[in-house]
Amino acid sequence: MREIEINYAQLLETNNLIQQNADETYWLCATRTVQESKIFPVSAYILFSYLNCFYRYPALLRKIEAQMSAEEVGDRARNQGTKIIAWTLPCFYLLGREMLINWGVIKPTDAVKDVAYVLDFWKRYQLSWHRNNGNITNRQAGHRAQVMPEQRLQVFHADAFECREGNPLHKAAQAFMAATAQYGFLVSCESRLTMHNYGPYKIADNREMLVRDFRELSEFDLPWLDGVGQNIPFNNLTVTMVLEDCRITLLDDWGSFESEPEMRSEHMVAVGLYTADNLTDGHIPVGMDSKEELTETFLDLTERAKAATTELWKEMSGWTRDQQLDAGAISYFAVPKELAHIAGVYEVDDWMMIDERTERFRPLLNDEYGNLFLGELVGYITTPSQRMHDYTMMQHTGQPTRGLSYFPYSILDDGDYTESVGPMRPGANNLSVKNDRYRTSEGILTLEQFNRRCQEFVPSTCQDKFKYLCADWVKYNYDTPRADELFKLEQKHSRVLKDKGAGLRRSDIEDLRS
Amino acid sequence: MNVLHGLGGTMAKLYEDTDKYGYQSDFPIVEAYNSAIKDLVRQRFAGSGKQWDEFLSDDAFHEITSADMSRIEESLLGYGYRFEPSAMSSAIERPDAYKDSGLHDPDFSFEHELAPTAPTGDDGRELRGAGDNVVTRNENVIGVARYVRTSDKVLEYLTDGVPENTVAIVDDSGGTLTAPILEKFKAVICAGGTTRSHLAILTREYGIPCFMNARLSGINEGDSVEVEAVATAKSGDDYAADRDVSGLVWRIHS
Repeated sequence: MREIEINYAQLLETNNLIQQNADETYWLCATRTVQESKIFPVSAYILFSYLNCFYRYPALLRKIEAQMSAEEVGDRARNQGTKIIAWTLPCFYLLGREMLINWGVIKPTDAVKDVAYVLDFWKRYQLSWHRNNGNITNRQAGHRAQVMPEQRLQVFHADAFECREGNPLHKAAQAFMAATAQYGFLVSCESRLTMHNYGPYKIADNREMLVRDFRELSEFDLPWLDGVGQNIPFNNLTVTMVLEDCRITLLDDWGSFESEPEMRSEHMVAVGLYTADNLTDGHIPVGMDSKEELTETFLDLTERAKAATTELWKEMSGWTRDQQLDAGAISYFAVPKELAHIAGVYEVDDWMMIDERTERFRPLLNDEYGNLFLGELVGYITTPSQRMHDYTMMQHTGQPTRGLSYFPYSILDDGDYTESVGPMRPGANNLSVKNDRYRTSEGILTLEQFNRRCQEFVPSTCQDKFKYLCADWVKYNYDTPRADELFKLEQKHSRVLKDKGAGLRRSDIEDLRS
Repeated sequence: MNVLHGLGGTMAKLYEDTDKYGYQSDFPIVEAYNSAIKDLVRQRFAGSGKQWDEFLSDDAFHEITSADMSRIEESLLGYGYRFEPSAMSSAIERPDAYKDSGLHDPDFSFEHELAPTAPTGDDGRELRGAGDNVVTRNENVIGVARYVRTSDKVLEYLTDGVPENTVAIVDDSGGTLTAPILEKFKAVICAGGTTRSHLAILTREYGIPCFMNARLSGINEGDSVEVEAVATAKSGDDYAADRDVSGLVWRIHS
């Protein structure tokens, strides 16, 4: 674990990371949309979650790093996919800090080491996650997420089945994505946290590929999926989707995308399906032996997702407001739990609870205050802590404001700051008690079994022999046995590329498909 | 420690009390709440007699409590203020604290000031509104307007089935309220959100014609309506440039 020392260089970097997140938070919130729901008090639970993040992330991230470095967690996450860490982890946390500053509960000079550590963890994780394109965020990459290596993309490209609008596979894939997206919105309490997109990747002059993750679909961490998710046989599913005559112009750090022209179903011309989790060696094909099998698989999963949606909706629509508030807040707060699973240190009490320090503020969070305070924090940028001197022109708005508070450098002179919010405190929730059942690629496990296996398991590409074999190494060493071995790891389950090795280019893959 | 003597007794001066640029929040309710919390911290910090770092490390948790937060809300409600509800559960559980949103009014219809209207033309179509089209379709949609604004209504349709040709009129741009029945709708008209809202994403995935941010007037339960699904879809650039790209909604007179 990297020790944080509070000095000028550290504060310069910490403030820079704060500013990067402030700029992107405003842009995302202004150009996307307002989340709302008649079932969930969305803004209220978002604010609740921000507080929980502020109080708990420092201790929980340190717990992860006591087992595995942020960089290694990033490597593993790239191997298997993850929920959206890029924006959520730092911004939920920093917005919790901003709330408390505006309440006078903390000063902008409090919890300095905590904040510096959380952002440092995030930076190192993100650099590792984005290793193949050298950026920290999608924003820095011009709103692209080209995170995967050539050897995996070749498999996705080669094995995707062609489909055209109106044919059975196309219809089945479209129905699956609609039903699973809908189920996902419900699972994550009206947020898009169960969905993540990567790419685009160039397939041909007029073709691009999107990789779409649907995560946390089965019985896993969320208590409200106990029973409801038991008939969903995979916790995570990844759809590879090739688009024709439709250019992805933007893929942001919320994992949402824009295209030119606006994507319509007829633009999808090839599709594949995979699953991956902490215990898989990369992405494992699902129903990919034939076009017919894939069609049947999509149809079967669609029916399962629809049935689970109905069951979950009935349960959720009967919840009390406190239950809705807890579930929504936990959905947001617990995004980085995926990193705790990777390290094999996940605990229910760490990630599924509202900290008692957060709980104090529940009575404040009525719908109207929630909507307006959240609106001021991320949309209008008008709370007192966000106002700056009159010459300031904020990125995107030109207003004399700043989305997130810096640390004043004066603390290096006067030493007048506090380091931390302190250790974890107990938590609770109003939800049902979580069953000790976790759907994994190795079947249903108890948490103790799952954590142990996660600690023991090292994906092949993350083993010492391969972990530093990056695209730049492949470029100059593709004709070596070691490169062949690296590529064959990814090709192990491929219908088209099994044992083909490292020498193929994209055009060779296209030839093999036809 | 700087100490002020204010209305609530001895009050400490907080770090944030000296602010050259920031004074208060824009929205009165936000300012009322946030000021009340600051007052509380001023009092408790002053009462602790400690330095800030000592207060923060322990007392701040024990001295600033859930009961304090409840009192802040009670004082606002004591002035007769009632909150605007978003979630159904909020108003149902605390009717004394929230305004009545009229969700259960059987004669409800949207009456937006900005809804474009025009008399019935020769073709029997009476213009009653407009909205932002999510995806341009090959033909317009004609169906029966049915308001779907509560979980009770969703449950009714889930149990009895969604009537054929339903053009659902909703005001929740989220993807959860109508989740179990959404794909049964012939079209959706949503009085909120944008073409990027969760509801818009889902209708796009399902291939269901959908208008977001609809401005409607005089469309009642059971009316026959036509939705101009062939209208140009409203893009992110259109929103950024504040361009009016609208499709129309007509009531059909046979």
